[in-house]
Amino acid sequence: MANDKIPTIVVVDDSATSISLYQFSIEPLAVNFIGFKSPAEAFPYLQEHTPDLLFLDIIMPGMDGLTFLRRLRTLAHQKNTSVIMVTSKDYAQDRYIAKQLGALDFVIKPLRFKEIRELVCKHAAVVPVDQTAPTPNESAENKSS
Amino acid sequence: MSELNYIRFWGVRGSYPAPFGSHLRVGGNTSCIELRADNHVLICDGGSGVIPLGNSLMAQQGIKEVAVILTHYHWDHISGLPFFVPAFVPGWKVNFFGPGDNKQEIERRISGQMVDPYFPVEIETWLADINYLTAHENKFEYGPFKIECFNVHHPGSTFGYRIEVHGKVIVYISDNELSFIDKTIDERKEELDQEEWQLIYAMQLEERVKALDVIRDAHVFIHDAQYTPQDYAKKRGWGHSCYIDTVEFAMDASVKNLYLFHVDPNYNDNAIEELHRASVKIVHDRKSEMECHIAREGLIIDLDNL
Repeated sequence: MANDKIPTIVVVDDSATSISLYQFSIEPLAVNFIGFKSPAEAFPYLQEHTPDLLFLDIIMPGMDGLTFLRRLRTLAHQKNTSVIMVTSKDYAQDRYIAKQLGALDFVIKPLRFKEIRELVCKHAAVVPVDQTAPTPNESAENKSS
Repeated sequence: MSELNYIRFWGVRGSYPAPFGSHLRVGGNTSCIELRADNHVLICDGGSGVIPLGNSLMAQQGIKEVAVILTHYHWDHISGLPFFVPAFVPGWKVNFFGPGDNKQEIERRISGQMVDPYFPVEIETWLADINYLTAHENKFEYGPFKIECFNVHHPGSTFGYRIEVHGKVIVYISDNELSFIDKTIDERKEELDQEEWQLIYAMQLEERVKALDVIRDAHVFIHDAQYTPQDYAKKRGWGHSCYIDTVEFAMDASVKNLYLFHVDPNYNDNAIEELHRASVKIVHDRKSEMECHIAREGLIIDLDNL
């Protein structure tokens, strides 16, 4: 039976601009998008919901992304949630910890629009958009002209 | 006559102790700083420098309690704790804080080095009252010290600390690789289209402002200055800073006194004094009013005279 549920993509990143970057990137995809600026903001939501894909920054105010992932994995419904660490912190030890905690991938900032889209399509079972489709800004330009 | 409130450096080296004759003007012990105010003792990190500090505390009257705040659990920051005498003595109280989601995790990380076959006695031989502090929204208080922790660029979970006491701000960041994201963005700049570049550039600025805000206007800023540019080029991604980045960053944040810390154990006194001379020249050339110092073992800073 086909699953017609729209996937939910959650981003936890303390940079408002970074969240916008994700939002822009996946705008052409048929997904729900929710961004949180800290683990403290995200935790109440994640206690209740299981996203189809979670992008986690590491260096954030309060709890760091790896400690937050460790806490999330203690929740029964988050044990197998698909998680991708996206960070400017490129250290083997962090990669190892992320892998131990079941993160699917560990990617280094900055990410291009298409790289974010590719990660979403690969890990959240989203059908890729036509590569010739306009970018969000091109769409906006067309609408305004 | 009132008691002196001060900061004292007990260990200033990064990575591993360097007890070599050629290193003793700067000092060979690893990270440990004592902050003392109103007869409260706050210890930043438990590297080998905490051993002579513990011995000194045992010889003093009136102090029976300390707090030890750890930036992380790499050996050069905890290797002195198994020899920290106050922890073994009934009647003392030792409060610990460090990265970790709960007290049990902090305890597990501290005690992990005191197990067979690596050490002859376990943490159960600490007969002092051992307590683990907790933070609320990354802030907590110990005596007159108001302490805030934040995450920094170093392998694993690593904290920096912003400490306010007697109206003065001390920021302690022992291990941190500055400007990492700037360098990563520079490497990819050519690939980005204009829309991506605008957003990524805005993100870069946002990150920079956030990093500066934590240390802005600090009276004392103690920061990782492990490498020369030549060594940093070979060790980029090891989680430590080139001293030039540290000096520039401190000036950008209008720091009043910078202490170059966690210097590489391969650098002897002459090399570090040359590094200091070059740092002072950078400050001079920018016409900054910041004072730039080398953190030396035994150095004492009068907190009330900053």
